[in-house]
Amino acid sequence: MNALLSQLQINLRLYFRNTMALVYGYLFPAIFLLAFWVLYRYERVPLVRHMGELLTIAVLGGACFGLPTTMVSERERGVWRRYRLTPVPTLTLVGSTLLARYVILITAGLLQVGLAMSIGMPLPHHPLQLFIVFSCVAFAFMGLGLVIATLADNVPAVQALGQCIFLPMLIIGGVAVQLSSLPDWALHLSAFFPGRYAVGALQAAVTGGGLHEAAFDVIALLAIGTAGSIAGAGMFRWDAQQRFRSNPRKGWLAVALAAWILTGAAAEGLGRVALPAPPSTVANPVNAQAPANPPPAAPAAVSAPPAQPNAVPPVVSGPDSATAPASGTAARGSGERRAAESPVGRGGPAAPGAPTAGVSPPNAVGSRSSAEGPTPKPPATPASSPEQLATPAAWQAVTLANIEADLTFTRLPSDSGVVTPVAAMTQDPDPDVLDDLETIRTSLPEWGPAKVTDPLQRVRNLLLVAAVPDVFQMPIEPFVPWVVFAEIQRTVPKDDLMKILYWIALHPADGSNAAVEDLPALGIVRGRVDIEEARNRAAVYAVKLLGQLTGKRPAR
Amino acid sequence: MPAKVVVRDLSKRYGLVEAARGVSFDVEDGEIFGLLGPNGAGKTTTVECLLGLRQPDEGAISICGIDARREPREVKQHIGAALQTTALQDKITPREALGLFASFYRVSLPPDTLLHRFALSEKADAPFDTLSGGQRQRLALALAFINDPELVFLDEPTTGLDAQSRRELHAEIRRMKEDGHTVLLTTHHLEEAEQLCDRIAIIAEGRIIETGAPRDLIARSTRLQTVHLTTSARLDETVMDGLPDVSDLSQENMTLRFRTPAASRTIADLMQRLLAQGVEITELHVQKASLEDVYLERIATEGARDPHATSTGVSRQP
Repeated sequence: MNALLSQLQINLRLYFRNTMALVYGYLFPAIFLLAFWVLYRYERVPLVRHMGELLTIAVLGGACFGLPTTMVSERERGVWRRYRLTPVPTLTLVGSTLLARYVILITAGLLQVGLAMSIGMPLPHHPLQLFIVFSCVAFAFMGLGLVIATLADNVPAVQALGQCIFLPMLIIGGVAVQLSSLPDWALHLSAFFPGRYAVGALQAAVTGGGLHEAAFDVIALLAIGTAGSIAGAGMFRWDAQQRFRSNPRKGWLAVALAAWILTGAAAEGLGRVALPAPPSTVANPVNAQAPANPPPAAPAAVSAPPAQPNAVPPVVSGPDSATAPASGTAARGSGERRAAESPVGRGGPAAPGAPTAGVSPPNAVGSRSSAEGPTPKPPATPASSPEQLATPAAWQAVTLANIEADLTFTRLPSDSGVVTPVAAMTQDPDPDVLDDLETIRTSLPEWGPAKVTDPLQRVRNLLLVAAVPDVFQMPIEPFVPWVVFAEIQRTVPKDDLMKILYWIALHPADGSNAAVEDLPALGIVRGRVDIEEARNRAAVYAVKLLGQLTGKRPAR
Repeated sequence: MPAKVVVRDLSKRYGLVEAARGVSFDVEDGEIFGLLGPNGAGKTTTVECLLGLRQPDEGAISICGIDARREPREVKQHIGAALQTTALQDKITPREALGLFASFYRVSLPPDTLLHRFALSEKADAPFDTLSGGQRQRLALALAFINDPELVFLDEPTTGLDAQSRRELHAEIRRMKEDGHTVLLTTHHLEEAEQLCDRIAIIAEGRIIETGAPRDLIARSTRLQTVHLTTSARLDETVMDGLPDVSDLSQENMTLRFRTPAASRTIADLMQRLLAQGVEITELHVQKASLEDVYLERIATEGARDPHATSTGVSRQP
């Protein structure tokens, strides 16, 4: 034990004296975090839906690059050969090295979470379970790092091998590219990479149902980590002169590979490869065909006192309450739970220059704010105050003055951006998506939710047709708004439409979202949708269309 | 006292190459034992088997009375080792390294004691990558002594050191013997072995071909003593006529050179003749056979037996 602790202490000391190690271990993950923050700046709650990815990237870098680089470098120098002249057992030396790396990874993870929380992310739903899951992820990837250390004969080989594992995991393994964006073959392939399980389990601890929801992911990680550790121990080399090619125990590699294959096969067998089908994502299920426009005074959101300007509709407040594309993990997380507990109206003040629509909310949509979230804050720059203009009690009462007072159109997400994109008139769709677009165009007039009698619900339903592909970043996403806008304008008179769009923009959480379940009829078939995210994007599209109708925001 | 190291019929094969072929030798308690041999002779393989770095195919190894093949970790509690080059992490300090290695053993000496003994106190907190070659080698010795070992393995300890560092290291090795430690030394430097070792073993082609004290080996050598004689005037070549047991006679200017197995008697006879001729002697030098002569002779003999032997691997100290 004395040797283990001494070795652990020395390993940590040496790590913190190594500037490059600190850069790779702490600075790079922080840069990733900042990059994600910028990329997903329209998200209502910063980074909360990407912590699974960010933490996985931090562990991947430290365990699959940092760990084997250190081990192979020390082996090349002869440090391990010198250790072997002492009576200390191999298990103690390797164990202390892994333990030191674990401590480094934990601190890197804490730094990530701390940084994310400092810029507005709330405390993860299951902090203790996040710690447990993070430990499982670290275990899995350190096992992998150990295998790399035994495979690589020198440090450049570590870099090459690490990249061979790192990049596929990022791109088609569900770590940096959302699973919902992957083609089917890649979705199947991702089941054989531990990155997918790492992201899934971590995200479940941050925003989902925790360990219970991520049981398979955790088991997969433990299996992969155990197999990697066994294989690494079996192939362990003390001496740089021992090359992998001549290592008589290289057959142990099969153990690590078998774990990956068996895990993937189990995921296939248990039907866990494809993204889950949309569940009953409707928090308050209402038949899409039924009139869904509630009486103005009925919903708590609408009846909230106007003097509560801090509850900002997410679509039109600062970056904290803007929307963003759902990650693959988020898509498979418990969207219902997030919808129920998401901090609508929790957003802090808008950052300078934030792309908001500059709305002064006349009423509260934030009545569902979670008690565990931060206290709602007032919007940054109200364009007007409720005292100056009467707040309409129903959409029919909306006036042009309300629109001009409460909405600005200059700071919406860019049409060519990631969030709520709208293709330019001159932009031709790729041939690959033409069929999908045509399906939507021809099916839309006969689509049940597009024919409900209540025009407000009808418009909400149609806007969801544009919003959901946007959430999933489907290739058709920038083109669907044109089809939807055309259908909306065809079925709703312009005067009513302007009022309805205003109402939706300020009341994104109202009405029914049951229409989402009918999207497969339009060929929009994806996994579980984050309904609140979709509602918010529908609200942004509402403002964009309203901008066109009022001439405030010309079409591209 | 029982022998500290007993090696019997040690064999190790790498594929088709037999690196050690029935190596046997003993190292007595308290002696400095040298293992000499050219590159590829099997010296490193033998030492690595003793240290537990390699598993021999056959043979028995007893170190400090412990079966090294059965209980290698127990053996390591009793031995220390300084390899040819000691590599540690760049940023570790001598004090930290000694503290770390102390934690590996049941019994250990205080790091400060070793820092002082090996003249590293001033560099105790300096990163390893700032130490000179001599300081690194002294640190390697300090690490080898951290467990106050009964037996110390020194593998080419002076390789790469300057003359001053080498002299200091020699003094340290002698001190180890005075302190009662047994030392097993491998070296290419024959003068070093001759100066330091109580006994040596010459290994070639995976076999021990000669074992004994350096002076005994030299005495057993068939090589002749060489006499160099310089006079005030050029000698008549006939002055050597009739002197017995003289061979390889040559003269250059006023220096005469010859070999003889009986230098004292030959020189006495020669002196009488020079006195008779009135020639003054300005310089007389008798060179006995050296360990190098013995080594070269034995390696050459082994090479004649084995056509694969092409190099003696011997080096003179600069």
